[in-house]
Amino acid sequence: MPLVTRNIEPRHVCRQTIPTTIRSELECVTNISLANIIRQLGSLSKFAEDVFGELFVQAGEFAIRVNTLGERVDRLQVKVTQLDPKEEEVSLQAITTRKAFRSSVTQDQQLFTRPSLPIPVQDTYTICDPPPPLNQLSQYRDDGKEALKFYTDPSYFFDLWKEKMLQDTKDIMKEKRKHRKEKKDNLNPRTLNPRKIKTRKEEWERRKMGEEFVEPKNEMMNSSEGLNGSIGSGEGFNSENLELSTNSYAYDPSSPLPAPGPDDMLPPPPPDVAYNGGQYGTPNQKRGSMLSPTHPPPAPPIASPLPNSRPNLSPLSPPPAPPPPPPPSGFGIPPPPPGFDTPPSPPPLSSSPSAYPSPPAPPPPPALSTVSPPPPPPMPAGGGPPPPPPPPPPPGPPPPSFNSSAAPPPPPSGGGVVAPSSAPKPQPAPASDARSDLLQAIRQGFNLRKVEAQREQEKRDTSGNDVAAILSRRIAVECSDSEDDSSEFDDDEWSE
Amino acid sequence: MLDRPPSCNSSNMAGQEDPVQREIHQDWANREYIEVITSSIKKIADFLNSFDMSCRSRLATLNEKLTALERRIEYIEARVTKGETLT
Repeated sequence: MPLVTRNIEPRHVCRQTIPTTIRSELECVTNISLANIIRQLGSLSKFAEDVFGELFVQAGEFAIRVNTLGERVDRLQVKVTQLDPKEEEVSLQAITTRKAFRSSVTQDQQLFTRPSLPIPVQDTYTICDPPPPLNQLSQYRDDGKEALKFYTDPSYFFDLWKEKMLQDTKDIMKEKRKHRKEKKDNLNPRTLNPRKIKTRKEEWERRKMGEEFVEPKNEMMNSSEGLNGSIGSGEGFNSENLELSTNSYAYDPSSPLPAPGPDDMLPPPPPDVAYNGGQYGTPNQKRGSMLSPTHPPPAPPIASPLPNSRPNLSPLSPPPAPPPPPPPSGFGIPPPPPGFDTPPSPPPLSSSPSAYPSPPAPPPPPALSTVSPPPPPPMPAGGGPPPPPPPPPPPGPPPPSFNSSAAPPPPPSGGGVVAPSSAPKPQPAPASDARSDLLQAIRQGFNLRKVEAQREQEKRDTSGNDVAAILSRRIAVECSDSEDDSSEFDDDEWSE
Repeated sequence: MLDRPPSCNSSNMAGQEDPVQREIHQDWANREYIEVITSSIKKIADFLNSFDMSCRSRLATLNEKLTALERRIEYIEARVTKGETLT
């Protein structure tokens, strides 16, 4: 709604009620009009003062800039006369060691904020009714937010955008780290690519015979997968991936066979990625700890790409969103494999660095109550090695429950689960004895992370709206998906 | 007595009308006076607005020139200084 910047006060000169006790009405009207004219002249003078004041301030700023520029020009003049063409630095060191020239482009920010309103418009706003004093209720709130912000918050959209930008930059940095890790990991399993291709041909050949014949072979492969129990070990991992990929082909006859990305352990059909993201976002976050019986197969085998399963579902990154493909494929298979997968998972996990999601699967088994009795015997044996991998990968947000790094203590947190807790109790008891020190370290680590999060928040609060420039730089980070290690390291240091 | 010219009628009747007429004439005169004043006030307001706008546009072009000059000077300074800006 356009607001008039400057208003001349008595808008209508002659429209005023005349007191009825007067005889000569015409004279009365004339006098009233003349008085209003004088008032108008008064507001006009204020109007003029405003206008000239703003222009004067701007001109003053420019005068300062012109003066500094003049001084710089004079200095340059002197310097140029002192230049001697013979003294020019020709050495290569000078070229490399000199600071590169970067022109500083100042970006205008905070243009349309409250303080930048022209004074007459601010006066217009002050004339309006203020919002109700809801902030008096803030002392009764538990979460420490200002009560008025629920009624009206002028900084709402800026804060929203700020949070979104920060989250996006973090996600992008995580993705870049993942790319790096995957590239490192892919150095080893690259030899598996020819294997994948072969199995596809086998699949196609099998399908030639008719899809009816496909199932038995898959069952055989699943049983062999279960027997191998190879989630973490190199070969088993590869074979399981191959089998899962073939399973995906078998159970998604409608979906086109997706091309295997060289980095992808499990080639996800893109529509399934997007579709399953919404459904499986939260379970994927919990890393298989809260696995419903239909979902266990995805979590254990997919180790490395899991951490960022959620952000990967955004259209930004094409490559890995492995958790979604197994669920669609796993619907037909799930019940038998989980029983086989989870118990053998811990021992082979010790050999692979990307094994961390599997330890959560056994300790908090409320969802796997039916499967829990078989796991306990093999668990304690394999329970020792897995925990060291889990603590480093999980990100800052302390898990409410069931997450891998806080695995042993959660049985008390899962208060509703008492019946299956008897099964997990023998597991964590011996495990905790072995890893009590680690547990304490982990808890302290979480405490440390909470403090760090608080410090980050404090930094944000103190830095205030100067962050706008920093945020615009972060957008540049987003846009430039370059994979320079140096630049990435700089961003890491800078953001933390 | 009845042969007075019509003008005499007005002059005689104006004994009653004249003050009213005078008043109305005076009122018209006042209104014209007020109208002149208000229109000149409007002209002043228009002048102030257009002066404000033209001043802002000129100051904006000045600003552009200043920033261009500043950038050129920065570049020239960088060219001229010999390794003094090593970090």
